[in-house]
Amino acid sequence: MVYAAEETFACSIDSVTRMADTIRNKGLNRVIVAACTPRTHEPVFQAALREASLNPYLFEFANIREQCSLVHMNEKETATEKAKDLLCVAASRAALLQPLYRISYKIIRSALVIGGGIAGIKAALSLADQGIEVNLIEKNDTLGGLARKIPETLEGEDVQGFVDALIQNAAENSLIHIETNAEFVDFSGYVGNFLSVVKTGKEGALKEIRHGVTIVATGAEELKPREYLYGEDGRVMTLLELDEMIEKDNNSVKNCDAAVFIQCVGSRNDERPYCSRVCCSHSVKNALKLKELKPEMDVYVLYRDMRTYGFKEDYYKKASDQGVIFIRYQPEDPPDIHAIEEKGKSFLRLTATEPMLGYRLEIDADLVCLATASTPPAGNKPLSQMLKVPLNEDGFFMEAHMKLRPVDFATDGIFMCGTAHNPKFIDESIAQAEAAASRAMTILAKDELTAGGPVSQVTTWKCSGCGVCWTVCPYQAISCGEDGISKVNEALCKGCGVCVSSCRSGALDLRGVSNEQTWSAIRALLG
Amino acid sequence: MSQLIHEIKEAARDFLRDGEDRTVIGFEQGSLPLQSRPCFIRKENDLERLVWNGFCKNNLAGYLPKRKGKIAIVVKGCDSRALVELIKENQITRDQLVIIGVACNGMIDRNKIEADMDGESIVDVEEGEDVLTIKGTNSSKVFDRKEYLYDHCKVCTNPVPVIHDILLGQRDSNTPQAPVNDTFSDLEDFSALDGKERWKYFTEEMNKCIRCYACRNACPMCYCPECFVDASRPQWVGKSTDLSDTMIFHLMRAFHLAGRCVGCGACEQACPMGVDIRKLNRRLQKDVMDLFHYKAGCNLEEKTPLATFRTDDSDSFMVEP
Amino acid sequence: MNESGQWKPKIIAFLCNWCSYAGADLAGTSRIQYPPNIRVVRVPCSGRIDPFFILASLQNGLDGVLVSGCHPGECHYLSGNYSARRKFALLKGLLEYVGVEEGRVQFSWVSASEGVRFAKVIEEVTSHIKTLGPAKILVKNIPGGSFDVSAHP
Repeated sequence: MVYAAEETFACSIDSVTRMADTIRNKGLNRVIVAACTPRTHEPVFQAALREASLNPYLFEFANIREQCSLVHMNEKETATEKAKDLLCVAASRAALLQPLYRISYKIIRSALVIGGGIAGIKAALSLADQGIEVNLIEKNDTLGGLARKIPETLEGEDVQGFVDALIQNAAENSLIHIETNAEFVDFSGYVGNFLSVVKTGKEGALKEIRHGVTIVATGAEELKPREYLYGEDGRVMTLLELDEMIEKDNNSVKNCDAAVFIQCVGSRNDERPYCSRVCCSHSVKNALKLKELKPEMDVYVLYRDMRTYGFKEDYYKKASDQGVIFIRYQPEDPPDIHAIEEKGKSFLRLTATEPMLGYRLEIDADLVCLATASTPPAGNKPLSQMLKVPLNEDGFFMEAHMKLRPVDFATDGIFMCGTAHNPKFIDESIAQAEAAASRAMTILAKDELTAGGPVSQVTTWKCSGCGVCWTVCPYQAISCGEDGISKVNEALCKGCGVCVSSCRSGALDLRGVSNEQTWSAIRALLG
Repeated sequence: MSQLIHEIKEAARDFLRDGEDRTVIGFEQGSLPLQSRPCFIRKENDLERLVWNGFCKNNLAGYLPKRKGKIAIVVKGCDSRALVELIKENQITRDQLVIIGVACNGMIDRNKIEADMDGESIVDVEEGEDVLTIKGTNSSKVFDRKEYLYDHCKVCTNPVPVIHDILLGQRDSNTPQAPVNDTFSDLEDFSALDGKERWKYFTEEMNKCIRCYACRNACPMCYCPECFVDASRPQWVGKSTDLSDTMIFHLMRAFHLAGRCVGCGACEQACPMGVDIRKLNRRLQKDVMDLFHYKAGCNLEEKTPLATFRTDDSDSFMVEP
Repeated sequence: MNESGQWKPKIIAFLCNWCSYAGADLAGTSRIQYPPNIRVVRVPCSGRIDPFFILASLQNGLDGVLVSGCHPGECHYLSGNYSARRKFALLKGLLEYVGVEEGRVQFSWVSASEGVRFAKVIEEVTSHIKTLGPAKILVKNIPGGSFDVSAHP
């Protein structure tokens, strides 16, 4: 240790510049900073090393703030002893740090979008606008996804016209290649260099697609429930089914004297604890539509909470003003439904508790519309396994970080948008699709990417070829090479070190967190 | 017995005649009574050296890692399971091998016999079906075979080879057989002891250890080009016979054998100091069975437990504040 | 051992960078107080932990070892903690079998959002090790050397 300095704000630009100068002037070849947490500030100080032409991996950080001074505020002496120990650990590791180098590789400047709904097409168009070639694959015969079943938004916008225009734009765009009736067969590779195999068309021909990034836009589905006589009585339908009926057969609608909407069917329960977000607004839209078709129709909405947020609240008020009756129910006391034949009339009788009056109400309806949950499609599970990306507890695709990386997967180069991520409105799906395209561009805008650095390495003469590491690696980054000896693909290796700890022969080590460095760190803490 | 030896020799002969440049790994008479030793035969003339008796204790599978060419190997039950693990670990290929499996009736522990010789040296032995007649310097003694088996033979779950090209011999129904689903009853008393008493036992045992590494050398599953014991950067295990260093050697060797040890006892047989090495391996065999429902060497399909996982593996050992 | 002659345990804590280390940072930014006996070594994943690290810690006379990683299913490296879990289960059983006191070596799952939980884990592990007393089993004894436990009663 040849130089030590104290800085009040080590991460300030002044300090960092001073650090770079000191490294240069004193010919330092290892740097330790004892300050806050490397998780946020390691890159800041590594910049100083780079500035001074020192390999940025010759840097070590001792966390004496978040993990010392802040958590032992009433024990200054013992905290100081602890800080000294943490510095000993840092020093012992620093002495053994080696320069690490990343390797560059060229990327494939194209994208694969999985799913041809609004989100997928929007993402494809956004990328194509930026000069990127896009392969868009869709499992159904036609594009448009779930939006094809939605005539209008709550605000009265023409969804079908919009979708038609979107599809036409995509079809006419020379950079976008669309495959329908497509089934995902295989997926491999890494960011900048993916290889997908897809079965396409009616004949099921296999097609290989090489791409640099992947966007998952596989959408969601409307739950077909098993309650409230759905499936047993034709007068009970889902919101999308009501949309269809209003579009195609509004005479039947006009014959109804009373209609009841039941909210939160299949959502916010033990099976699906989440809220499906769009159904309150969807019900309000359809309630208003029913009132428009037949103002004297009695329309009821049985709800748990009305989540018509933002400006959608205006439509809730409008519905209420037009005489739609909103009755709240508790999850422990959901409405009852019975098909009744009485005095020559056939109708559905709903019984619900009116919370303010405290009475049980009977509502006789000709039409019951269930606001059912948005659910992830069955294809999510196999797709997630093929892409090696996670699903959350509810079966939707899970983002890397809710705030910091909302459209990224933890796996580099794969992004998501639309209802594949969670239930959302069309405008939200569009915004997310643009976001995913934008994130994808951060990769596609580059000629090359770097990989490697703090990755696993093999000492070949120690390897007995037993194969434990090939099996254990989460990324299949280490595999059987020639002569049966293990070989690391530095582009795939994420540096987790599981292979290293699984190797009985000591043939593997992790650069940057090597066995020797860790051993040394332990010894530095002599008990 | 002589019929069995004849069958082994015939199988070996057929093998040698079937091609060029072949090796038979089997047993031959050792230099002392009650000793057999491994032999490597490449010519038909040498086949007469082959023996089969209650002293064929070595695990010949240990000679296979990275061996080239076609090999016929004589294996007992435990040896065959080691063979399965070695094939899975790419140390030998199945098609290199002609496996001459012999049903085993347990191997005789020479040390136990010697302990009951009243100080006489062993001059000669006659092995019968159920008894051994030992000629000492002064007198002849008769030993009940099943009482003088190795400890590991007494808890053997698979005396008949699980993998073979030829299967010879019969498991004698008189020899007590442990159930194929190991109950680990031999560990019950020890496990019931207090932690301090267990540490005391291991202290006594490991203080005997002279760090000769005969156990490691005899073990068929120890084949690493550089053993962790010889690593210097970092030096995981100190070279002294300080109890702490010795314990770490044995703990880590046992850990490296977790899910791979077949309980063949080669380690204990090789140990010159009589250290109770298998006490550690038995515990890990039990834990691997209880936690991961895996027994080493049963089939070629199952992945070794530490190379894989289940998402519902138990967390019960972890801190839950 | 410190000047006042009273034993204070020293516990090494291997924390995975993405979850447990982040959880420890959160405990810091939230100013949650916990006992000052742990010494953190950051690793990329709980799957990086080799049993040798744990044994080396015990051999060097550290009074306790904690390894903490991401909750199952949440590993940044997909399955690193699943692989680790099996090793830990076997190692813990083996160490306790030879007589290492139960609770000297501990494993936990703490996520990046669990600052409170991190502090609770440290509390529990530290207080348990205080009841066990200084580590003696597996500590290397070179007579008169710095490891000589008899010099520190």
